[in-house]
Amino acid sequence: MKVIIELIISFIIIGSGACGGGLVTIPLIQHEMVSIRHWITFDEVARLLAIAQMTPGPIAINAATFIGFQIARITGSIMATLAVIFPSLIILLSLTPLLKNIKNNEKMKRISQGIQLGVLSLILFAIWSFGWVVIKSWLDLLLAIAAFLMLIIFENRVHPVLVIVLCGIIGLIIY
Amino acid sequence: MLIQQIGNNTHQQDCPSKEISYAKIFWTFFRVGLFTLGGGLAMGTVIRYELLLKNKWINDNDFMSEFSTATIIPGSIAVNIAYLQGNRLRGRMGAATAVIGTILPSFFIILAIVYFGLPYFDHPKVVAFFRGSALAVAGQLAFTGFIFSKRLLVKWRNLIICLISLFTVAIIGLHPIWSLITAAVLGYFLPRKNNRTPIQPSG
Repeated sequence: MKVIIELIISFIIIGSGACGGGLVTIPLIQHEMVSIRHWITFDEVARLLAIAQMTPGPIAINAATFIGFQIARITGSIMATLAVIFPSLIILLSLTPLLKNIKNNEKMKRISQGIQLGVLSLILFAIWSFGWVVIKSWLDLLLAIAAFLMLIIFENRVHPVLVIVLCGIIGLIIY
Repeated sequence: MLIQQIGNNTHQQDCPSKEISYAKIFWTFFRVGLFTLGGGLAMGTVIRYELLLKNKWINDNDFMSEFSTATIIPGSIAVNIAYLQGNRLRGRMGAATAVIGTILPSFFIILAIVYFGLPYFDHPKVVAFFRGSALAVAGQLAFTGFIFSKRLLVKWRNLIICLISLFTVAIIGLHPIWSLITAAVLGYFLPRKNNRTPIQPSG
């Protein structure tokens, strides 16, 4: 019981600290799970992250379900998953009535457009850091560019997941 | 959606005039949860495809604005955007439906993996498949970046804001939230010329 409460607290902390998407969650998970709680080792984190990246869905959810299971089986999975989304749900629940009112405010529009540019810079940074990890040869680069072009050309005709599957199959053949 | 923005008395309305069923919301976000690899920002491509191209629930400007709101709020971007969209379509119940739809695929897939699938992840064929699809995820990230750039980097002012906030996270190495804060502050204080895009009428 104590371990489940600790699990919930840890994932509430991870959920409220992760701001800016999956790649940000990773150091937080490492810090909470390895350095503070000593629940899993660094090697296990590396394995977990590989699996979380390879499986569909938000990384935070994948990680919560996975670690929760390691610690307290199915109960742990459910509790950790709920705990990790709890902070954002509370924030959104209290924020959405406000959002509607400030949407037409000129000052808020300027701030929100600024934030959009900030998000763009995070995307550009993610392309760089993620690309650095996965692209190891000219062939890799070629495949990534081909995926990008496919997405642009078939923008509204082909589901993006097909591009992922196709690249996976190409990977199966060439690697 | 455009009419909602323009009309002063209609923007209090919670849902669009034509009601979208909970089942449709659930199924759409279930697909978002199921068909995205890489998490977070890389999910933008699929979310945009499902919400904008397929269902036409939002336009590109609303998409970018909601994607940004979802990014600045703590927690998973996909869950946040599911909440915002579901809430806009069918209020709180819609939000709950969308959030559950988004997290269920991950939850069950991970459970299936920890029960049966762990050994397979070291199989060379599986590794090769995921190496290929990781490159497609890089392509997806680039595509989301392309969509944002095409819409936003139309003025020198915006390019400068973007580069400065990129500097904080990429060169100084601060936490990504600082990049968003920097951009928000610059967006507020840097002057801009009074030419508005036709899609965003003044409120």
